[in-house]
Amino acid sequence: MDRGRLALSLIALAAALALPFVAGPFWTGLATQMYIFGLLALSVDLLLGHAGLFSLTHASFFAVSAYTVAILQVRYAVPTTLAAPAGILAGTLLAAVFGISVRTRGVYFILITIALGYVVWGVAHRWSSFTGGDNGVTNVPFPAIGGVGITSHTQYYYLVLAVILLCALGYRVLIRSPFGLGLRGIKASETRMQSLGYRTSAHLYAAFVLSGALASLAGVLYVYYNRFVNPVASSFPISVEAALMAIVGGSGTIIGPFLGAGVVLGLRNWVSSFFEMHHAIMGAVFIATVLWAPDGLVGIAARLRARFSRPKEPGP
Amino acid sequence: MTQLAIEVGALAKVFGGLAAVDGVSLSVPAGERRVLIGPNGAGKTTLFHCITGTLKPTRGSVRLFGRDVTRDPEHRRTALGMGRTFQITNVFPDLTLLENMTLAIVGTDRRKWVMHRAVAAFADVRRQALEGLEAVGLAGRAAQPVKLVSYGERRQLELALALNTRPKVLFLDEPCAGLSPSERQRISKMIAGLPRDITLVMIEHDMDVALGLADRVTVLHQGRVILEGTPDEVRANAEVREVYFGHG
Repeated sequence: MDRGRLALSLIALAAALALPFVAGPFWTGLATQMYIFGLLALSVDLLLGHAGLFSLTHASFFAVSAYTVAILQVRYAVPTTLAAPAGILAGTLLAAVFGISVRTRGVYFILITIALGYVVWGVAHRWSSFTGGDNGVTNVPFPAIGGVGITSHTQYYYLVLAVILLCALGYRVLIRSPFGLGLRGIKASETRMQSLGYRTSAHLYAAFVLSGALASLAGVLYVYYNRFVNPVASSFPISVEAALMAIVGGSGTIIGPFLGAGVVLGLRNWVSSFFEMHHAIMGAVFIATVLWAPDGLVGIAARLRARFSRPKEPGP
Repeated sequence: MTQLAIEVGALAKVFGGLAAVDGVSLSVPAGERRVLIGPNGAGKTTLFHCITGTLKPTRGSVRLFGRDVTRDPEHRRTALGMGRTFQITNVFPDLTLLENMTLAIVGTDRRKWVMHRAVAAFADVRRQALEGLEAVGLAGRAAQPVKLVSYGERRQLELALALNTRPKVLFLDEPCAGLSPSERQRISKMIAGLPRDITLVMIEHDMDVALGLADRVTVLHQGRVILEGTPDEVRANAEVREVYFGHG
């Protein structure tokens, strides 16, 4: 990492650590959501930005994990130390099943993931006796490990921050590993990868399950923040928004999905305060991004940097 | 008698109603350099695809060192020792040349599954990748993304990728296609310099290159083998002159 980026990372980290002190609970809450949904977007982007698969079912893993935690904690009084891992496990197992969708490519992959996502939403919505139907599961407590528990949103903010930092570091190793390079190879030319000895479906399946595990972790963070979960968490718009966040921020990067989450959540909060049809604005943002900034915010930053650091060309 | 590296038995590939390959049988002994020639549409590339597993043949069988691989997927055949290049350059444009080579090197061993260690930490892979690039004259380009290097250099990389899967049998599909005469010479020299224990099966349109490199030549026409022999025999054959050179 060069010095400029290191300095920038340290400034960002310091700002993140100081945020609850300088900004009120509203901004702290928004930042917490940004981290959580940024993590979800990052999980989507492992497939989208690296392997070239556009999944629209990631809300499923997110929601199944959140429901698992909520039901275990609320109905069975299972402690966080068991409920949280159980949530991740449940979401990951679902990803291991939904991973069969990597047998398809392109538009068929998108369609099959949409269909699978609707199955989960349907179950959450209709199986009222188990999921609580439209009301979902409420009164989820703050997480507690042993006797030590989170008691405020500020404390929870720091917990989430710590978790996403660890995830970002792990993710960084993953995408730089031979496995991560293999995913980029598959995105560029699957036929060539096969002729180089890769069983590409196995690689994509592994990436799908890993990605689902990360989405499940985001689901755990979400349910403890939100303190309830209902079918909205599993809905198609959540999957779309996660992909949108990754693309708006900068697909294929680590910081991008988090920046994108900040933009999408911030805009929605702001626009919805005075405009009822805020979803239309989100659509416009998406279209503008795809047309004029396909590499997202990170791409814009890189372009600006290239413009200003370009050496002066000698005159004619 | 030497072992057969490749044994193709009555292989056919039918697209719709068209038999692109129509019952080809072919035996290539280990260590031989075999060149396939034939006019456009003779079924050379389709035959290649069927042998290396890119396409499934409609009928027939493929054996690699006596082992039936007809039903093995492509990646499995690569692991067993087949390497190939593509007629239409098939490399990874967004990745650097070094990354391209890394993919080829770890593709045939278990390191392709490593998730917890950065590629950069594998010093031996890096060394091998640089050596591989050096061998095709691309050492100076290692850090550049493929999309920034010339077409000729991509063809060289194409060859380097195939060589670094540690093939026992190497299939080259028109390695010189679209190259300038000097690049052509460079690549054919490179191919001529390959170790003799690698069995070579090559499609080539350039008759000078083809007949200069080949131990034996197989001539395909309309999906069938019409002649097999030494370069001299092929040169002298009237039927080949008829279908291939277009005059009697």
